[in-house]
Amino acid sequence: MLKFILKKLLLMIPMLLVISLIVFFGLQATGIDPINFMLSPEQLSASPEVVEQLREELGLNDPLIVQYFNWLGNMLHGDFGYSITDGTSIASTLAVRMPYTLELAGYSLVLSAIIGIGIGIISAIRQNGIIDYIGRVLAVLGQAVPQFLVGIILIQIFSIKLGIFPAANRVSPDATNAFVDAFMHLFLPVTTLTIGMVAVLMRYARNTMLDVLNSDYIKTARSKGIPEWKVYLKHGFRNAMKPVLVILMFRIPTLIGGSVVVESVFSYPGIGMTMTNAIVANDYNVVMVTTLIIAATMLVCSFMVDVLNAIMDPRVRLGE
Amino acid sequence: MSNPNAASIKEQNKSAASSLLKKNIRKFLNNKLAVFGLVVVVVMTLACIIGAVMGVDYATPDLTNMKAAPEAGHIFGTDTIGRDLLARVLIGGCYSILIGVFCAVLSSVIGAALGAIAGYFGGWVDSVIVRISEIFQAFPQLVLVMMLVAILNQRGLGNLLFIFVVTGWMTTFRMVRNEFMSLKNETYVKVCEAFGMKRSNIMFKQILPNVMSPIIVSTTTNVAFFILQEASLSFIGLGVADSTPTWGNILNAAKSVSVVTNQWWIWVFPGLAISLFVLAINFFGDGLRDVLDPKQQ
Repeated sequence: MLKFILKKLLLMIPMLLVISLIVFFGLQATGIDPINFMLSPEQLSASPEVVEQLREELGLNDPLIVQYFNWLGNMLHGDFGYSITDGTSIASTLAVRMPYTLELAGYSLVLSAIIGIGIGIISAIRQNGIIDYIGRVLAVLGQAVPQFLVGIILIQIFSIKLGIFPAANRVSPDATNAFVDAFMHLFLPVTTLTIGMVAVLMRYARNTMLDVLNSDYIKTARSKGIPEWKVYLKHGFRNAMKPVLVILMFRIPTLIGGSVVVESVFSYPGIGMTMTNAIVANDYNVVMVTTLIIAATMLVCSFMVDVLNAIMDPRVRLGE
Repeated sequence: MSNPNAASIKEQNKSAASSLLKKNIRKFLNNKLAVFGLVVVVVMTLACIIGAVMGVDYATPDLTNMKAAPEAGHIFGTDTIGRDLLARVLIGGCYSILIGVFCAVLSSVIGAALGAIAGYFGGWVDSVIVRISEIFQAFPQLVLVMMLVAILNQRGLGNLLFIFVVTGWMTTFRMVRNEFMSLKNETYVKVCEAFGMKRSNIMFKQILPNVMSPIIVSTTTNVAFFILQEASLSFIGLGVADSTPTWGNILNAAKSVSVVTNQWWIWVFPGLAISLFVLAINFFGDGLRDVLDPKQQ
């Protein structure tokens, strides 16, 4: 087991290197010159030697490969560089915004797991009942309506018509209670993300639970006279949850992608919003760092899926 | 002497195939949701094409009539700079459907070809292609698309199609690869190999037809996926330029709270168009799966 984990961990390093190479050289290929953002056109034409000196200081005259290793070395030291457009330190921006995105994605993950698995299992137990029916309609709609449209509809209903929740931002300037403030701002974005996640999860949980309930050991358990609720919880639920948990982990990339869109709908100042704005503004320093962070998060998640899989299913370990 | 026999076997095969087709069509027609999906898809596509052929005016702003509510002259109302929304939704539909179909088909072709090669040959070819697909999958697709938008540094239709195809082939690839890995050990493949048939022939003429059903089904549902993806990308402002309307592009106007509050028609109609089309494609795809691929239900 330890060997398996170690092998997977070591495999992550070349993956991250390749990704950082692609990101770095890809964005260098755009031909955007950071000097143009730092100096005004007058300064650029007035004193070419100053410009040249600045280039030398910033290391922009080094060969690309040297620049790449400098950048990588700085990243490892926690020095993420500076935004080209407004000169702020990327590390300090991310320190504020990263937790916001983690909050958004984390709450949605937990909520969608509870709701999706809950509805899925009830639909499986009470097949063709009212909850099964509602669940099916929700699943179909959740997959057809674009996430941002769900967000817009929620804003229309809850912020504009009813005026309960704010339509944008993460913190209010005049907030008195930090917890209540966070709840108010998170409610709509988290709901939007959760609706998209629940749709898929619900269907999957229902089908797995149905499979399990039709299996022989459930019949055996019933014939032994074990109370019905115990059959569902102890024998059905436990076995149905393994594949559902794996699917839940596999949905994390979709969750991060979704949060990019949702952050844009709700003007929510997270990583996704940072990246979107940076792309629009050609701020490639920020684009490089945000993509790399997202890729690293993704790799860690897929590592966890592998380990989880290996713990639950020994065949995976032996097959490797 | 063997001729009449052979002819009759051929005949029999033909009639068996046509009765299978008939049976499948009957099965499909019995699935009301699938038929509904097909009808909606066909009607909406035709409406968009007819709109485009008639040359409806989607680009000229009517400055005296900005943000007009739906009325006789403009059934869907007008947008923030006074362009007719019905015309924009129709032409936008053409582009959105084109993007969806083009990317779904092309990424399926690439995914199927790579999957066939990786699954059939195995060994280092397989591990190289699988590694590449894993790198692509390390990114959430939307983020990957955004990164490519940043690298290409231009917002054009061509670039968007290219990006979607480059980032969209992995699911088909994995499916086809798995199928090939199990099918390549079948007897009929071994027989073909023993006869010295060319490898490309074995792969694409002998094995691939057996994998066609799941490929067709996943291509259908991918059309919906790419339409949604384009809509999200255009909504956050990284899709196609505003001069080319798409359903997502029109919805971009709904980023402003004042539009959401006061001009419901600007986001309700294109939103309905996307949702209805995607819903219909999904129903149609599910119906196809029931007919073509019974084991995947």
